Amino acid sequence: MVAGKLNEDKFDEILGQSLRRHSEPVPPGFTERMLRQIEEAEQQKILARVIWQERLALAGCIVFGALAAIGVTVFPGRIAGVLRGIATGFTERGGAVVDGIGQTISIETVRSEWQLYAILALVLGFAVFSLVDMLVGDRLRTA
Amino acid sequence: MAEKIWEKRQKKKWLRLLRSGDHQVFAEFIDKYKETVFLCCRRLGLREDEAEDVASETFLAVYKAIGRYSGQAELSTWLWSIAYRQGINYLRKNRRQWELEAEPDEQAVRSKEPEPATAIQGRETEKIVWEAVERLPRLWAIAVILYYREEKSIADIAKVMKIKENTIKTYLFRGRDKLKQILGTAFEEDIDGGR
Repeated sequence: MVAGKLNEDKFDEILGQSLRRHSEPVPPGFTERMLRQIEEAEQQKILARVIWQERLALAGCIVFGALAAIGVTVFPGRIAGVLRGIATGFTERGGAVVDGIGQTISIETVRSEWQLYAILALVLGFAVFSLVDMLVGDRLRTA
Repeated sequence: MAEKIWEKRQKKKWLRLLRSGDHQVFAEFIDKYKETVFLCCRRLGLREDEAEDVASETFLAVYKAIGRYSGQAELSTWLWSIAYRQGINYLRKNRRQWELEAEPDEQAVRSKEPEPATAIQGRETEKIVWEAVERLPRLWAIAVILYYREEKSIADIAKVMKIKENTIKTYLFRGRDKLKQILGTAFEEDIDGGR
């Protein structure tokens, strides 16, 4: 019984040692090829993101244009009113908005001129996003 | 003791750099573990070109997921589970998963019939043992390699192979038994010498 156990242990020892000593062949240059693949994958990821951004911008233009066209056709009176309001905001009160920078913009002002502020916020947001993405986007993505 | 603490700190620092996506450190990682990944792919029965493709997929998957590696499992166990999964998925995609349970093909077995003790004298023990492991069904071979070579626990092997612990124990028991049959005559003297 003890001899049997010894044999078992010896067998396990030979098995373990032999398997640990084995070295598996690896095709030459595998690491370099792998690193190249990783770099390519990263570039493709960046490219895909840029394409996605461009598609988004294009889709935005198309949807905005389509909505405007549909709006003008279906609700000509209301759209004219909204556009007139925005135009008035830009021309007559635009100066007041610029003057008001630095002063507190009240919630009431934002509520009454929400179309103007919404468009300004959208344009400003997209501009900031594009600028940040252009300047540090690559670094952020690879970090 | 101080050496162990230093080693632990170095490992932590290396892991942090690896997680940050440093290419130089990732190259070191590939160099360190490429043998392990190829070993897993080939034992799953993948051909040379397939093994290289799956190994590449494994390292790409690791590169993408390394930021999410929590450090709870050992890095090698985590890598084994990814390599094993990639290999199994490849076989599944090519409708070859049946090969995992099957005995290795007859022709290959016949060419590697066990040799008498006198014939193997002078040959490396390692090579003979390895050839014997290659004659095991693939899942048994993977379990034996993980247990005896990689020194993983039954629980870790179960996690890598996503199989119940009892099944792993059965694979190990049967694999060991078959290896004893194959290697019995070859190592009679070595084993008896241990008495």
